[in-house]
Amino acid sequence: MTLLETHDLTAGYGPITVLHGLELQVDEGEIVVILGANGAGKTTTMRAISGVIPRHGSVTFEGRSIGRASPDSIVRHGLAQVPQGRGTFPELSVEDNMKCGAYVRRDGSAAIAADVKRWFGTFPRLAERRNQRAGSLSGGEQQMLAIARALMSRPKLLLCDEPSLGLAPLITQELFAVLEHLNRDEGLSVLLVEQNANLAMHMASRVYLLETGRVVATGTGEELSADDTIRKAYLGF
Amino acid sequence: MKSLFTIKSGGPASWALRVVAAVVIGAVVLTVPTGDSYPLMNQFTTAFMLMAAAMSLNLLLGYTGQISLGHSAFFGIGAYATGVFVSRYGWSPMWTFPAAFVIAFVVGALVSLPALRIKGVYLALVTLSLALVFPQFIKWRKLTWLTGGPRGLDKAGFNFGRKNRTYEIFGHDFFGDMRGQGAIPFFYWVAFAVVVITYVVCRGVVKSRAGRALIAIRDNETAAAVMGVNVAVTKGLVFGISAGLCALPGCVSTIRTNNVVPDSALITVIGSITFLIIMVIGGAGSLWGPILGAGVYVLVVEITGDWSNEDNIPGLLRPLFSWSSTPPGTGIFAISLIVLMFVAPFGLLGLLKKWTARLVSVRPKPAGTTTIEFTSSALVAEDAST
Amino acid sequence: MERFLQYLFDGLSIGSVYALMALGLVIIYRGTGHLNFAQGEMALFSTYVVYQMGEWGIPIGIALIIGLAVGFLIGAATEVFLVRPVAKKSAFAVFIVTLGLFQGLNWLDSAIWGDQVLPNSAVSKQQQFPTLFPNKSTDFVRILGAEWRLKYLGVLLLVLVLTAVMFLVFNKSRAGLAMRAVASNSESAKLVGIRTHQVLMVSWGLASAIGALGGVVFAGINGTVNLNLMFTVFIYGSAAATLGGFDSPGGAVLGGLMIGVIENMAAGYFPDWVGQEMKLGLAFVVIVGVLLVKPSGMFGTAKVERV
Repeated sequence: MTLLETHDLTAGYGPITVLHGLELQVDEGEIVVILGANGAGKTTTMRAISGVIPRHGSVTFEGRSIGRASPDSIVRHGLAQVPQGRGTFPELSVEDNMKCGAYVRRDGSAAIAADVKRWFGTFPRLAERRNQRAGSLSGGEQQMLAIARALMSRPKLLLCDEPSLGLAPLITQELFAVLEHLNRDEGLSVLLVEQNANLAMHMASRVYLLETGRVVATGTGEELSADDTIRKAYLGF
Repeated sequence: MKSLFTIKSGGPASWALRVVAAVVIGAVVLTVPTGDSYPLMNQFTTAFMLMAAAMSLNLLLGYTGQISLGHSAFFGIGAYATGVFVSRYGWSPMWTFPAAFVIAFVVGALVSLPALRIKGVYLALVTLSLALVFPQFIKWRKLTWLTGGPRGLDKAGFNFGRKNRTYEIFGHDFFGDMRGQGAIPFFYWVAFAVVVITYVVCRGVVKSRAGRALIAIRDNETAAAVMGVNVAVTKGLVFGISAGLCALPGCVSTIRTNNVVPDSALITVIGSITFLIIMVIGGAGSLWGPILGAGVYVLVVEITGDWSNEDNIPGLLRPLFSWSSTPPGTGIFAISLIVLMFVAPFGLLGLLKKWTARLVSVRPKPAGTTTIEFTSSALVAEDAST
Repeated sequence: MERFLQYLFDGLSIGSVYALMALGLVIIYRGTGHLNFAQGEMALFSTYVVYQMGEWGIPIGIALIIGLAVGFLIGAATEVFLVRPVAKKSAFAVFIVTLGLFQGLNWLDSAIWGDQVLPNSAVSKQQQFPTLFPNKSTDFVRILGAEWRLKYLGVLLLVLVLTAVMFLVFNKSRAGLAMRAVASNSESAKLVGIRTHQVLMVSWGLASAIGALGGVVFAGINGTVNLNLMFTVFIYGSAAATLGGFDSPGGAVLGGLMIGVIENMAAGYFPDWVGQEMKLGLAFVVIVGVLLVKPSGMFGTAKVERV
């Protein structure tokens, strides 16, 4: 079943249009990866979908249109974003950051506390630092926190914007392993933006290649790697 | 946007326009004091004083982005320097001008020391408290011997006995033939001279290498420092010059009234706010903005001064203001400030530039052949960091 | 000893008023990074409203609630209509807007109520500005020989209770979490579903209401209200916020109390040097001193700037 779909998505910043009629789709249970060079519009795509910048065109989630919705109602629909650069609340404690993730939930503090415990289990390094100010954590830990925070809202679709940025390869592998595990065992769908093509393509159900705000190629990881021109031009190997 | 005419910057057409402007201004400035209207001359004198003060504030705020709410204190330093030196020590009044400049310069440079580390909000608070403390300081019992305390100082200007009228400037009697005409045109000319001096100095600073350093500091201080701009010295210098220039109209005010009191409006924090209002209304960050702003300010005050009496308010505006017992001047300025931020953040001058741009646009010289022109957009368009 | 305690009590009482002003300033600064130059005048307008309610015979309890509501509305409306549209342009523009509001509200006060001290036997029905606490000359407690009049002590207790309530709200409630999140990173706050616009509006409203409380309380202490009532309080409140740290509500309150005490002690023990005129000089010294030594104040967090 199609979870997320965009048609003719156009967005930009002021007079500059970055996305020109973007078409993409994420089905339930998929990990979809968006690749592209700097300036291709990957982050703009994420921001357009999660509603923090003005956009035109249609975006539907579970069949319902969210193209005009505000960010907070989009979260309530079941979309959660892990922004580029982590986006943690630096002055708040780790635990408070996670509680922020559960802001839209209405199922009571007991359920929320249970989830906090659960994600501390998945990310033990966060549990160790639960009362520390989030701003004092390392890059990798902040990334884990950002993901845990997003997961606290029990989303159906997780949007991840360049999670590997600035992280050591080992930590990145760890993170992607967690995402893969969540996808396989809990049915979490993921839309992932990455520059690190190699790592991301292995776990992708499908890959979109973006250039100057348009999709220029799509297919499975193997299909794109198999195509020589695409591989050399965009994937660098 | 296409304009009707295009002229080259620095070319003959642009020079012609400048000459025309100079002639018009010259005509206005020269005819006023030769006429018969003393009230008009007085208003112009006030306007000149405010222009100079606002220009000095603009140098700091418009060009370096440092907020100062303390310029009334510098104005006050000028006023009191003249007052004290003439009244207590018998100086000849014109010599107090350079002395006041120096004193204010030093104080300004000192104030800029904490400003090196603080910005935005905090600088506004520090300068605001400076403005508040100044009149209190003057009234302090420990200083009454010098400042005359709350009652102020008398006979602080020129000695205007009927027979002995001398308008001596640095030992020379320039105005011999004005003796018959009374003091008011004299004050007019002194105030005008102060405006010209202030303009020349401001222009000099802005167009110079220091000026470019200022803009660099305003846009991104850390980057400027890293690129070799000596931030501390530049900031200190500019603060000092701004303070010194603001003292000059203060001297004029003492000479004009022949006395100085600590509670006069421009020496209290009201003065700082007034200068700021004028600067914003006219247009921050441009040399002519404060000039325009002061003119408008004096005009509005003049027109609305009588409005506490209902009958004087023009029909259309009557329902707005007739119910209040206090003059609406402050209210009008308050509303204008707010409206301006929505409609014309670069002040009236900014608006004027936009409109005239439809008529005439100036084609700049090719890159690399001219010094950088200041663009006022930066002050309002970008987020000032705190 | 008695003298010391007397100065201490007086200082704590007036310090409570400064603390309220500082608390309002900090709430806005923390949430939005702006200094609300009109904070004092918003409080003053609400205070005048309470005076007017008193003139119309409305009991102080209800009048206070109305005054607080008015304060809240002014703050919220300012955020929505004046600050939000302009904040996109620059912080300087917001500053000018609050400066305009500062002038405008004061002018409005003078236009509606005149520039005299009120209540005024010529025009008012009330003898004094209504006070929240028992005000007869026999209403005081004696501690170690010094008198603490109930109306002064009451102010301090009120502020302490309010601070405790604010602490609980900020740190233990969902709304408080939202406010802290928006103050910390408003972009991420949107991403977790917080309605940042609402939070900002409520922050300004809350700050203004707290300011209104401060104004009413101060006028109650003074017995009168006039156009200049809140301006020096604003300066002292700013000094207190600087001292305590502009992003620390607890620091603001503590800073306010400290400044009140220091001011009173200095004026009391050194009347020749400090006296009435130089009290403001104290605020100046505090602000400059703190900024030179530790710009983030006692409890504020230092900001690291990225090039």
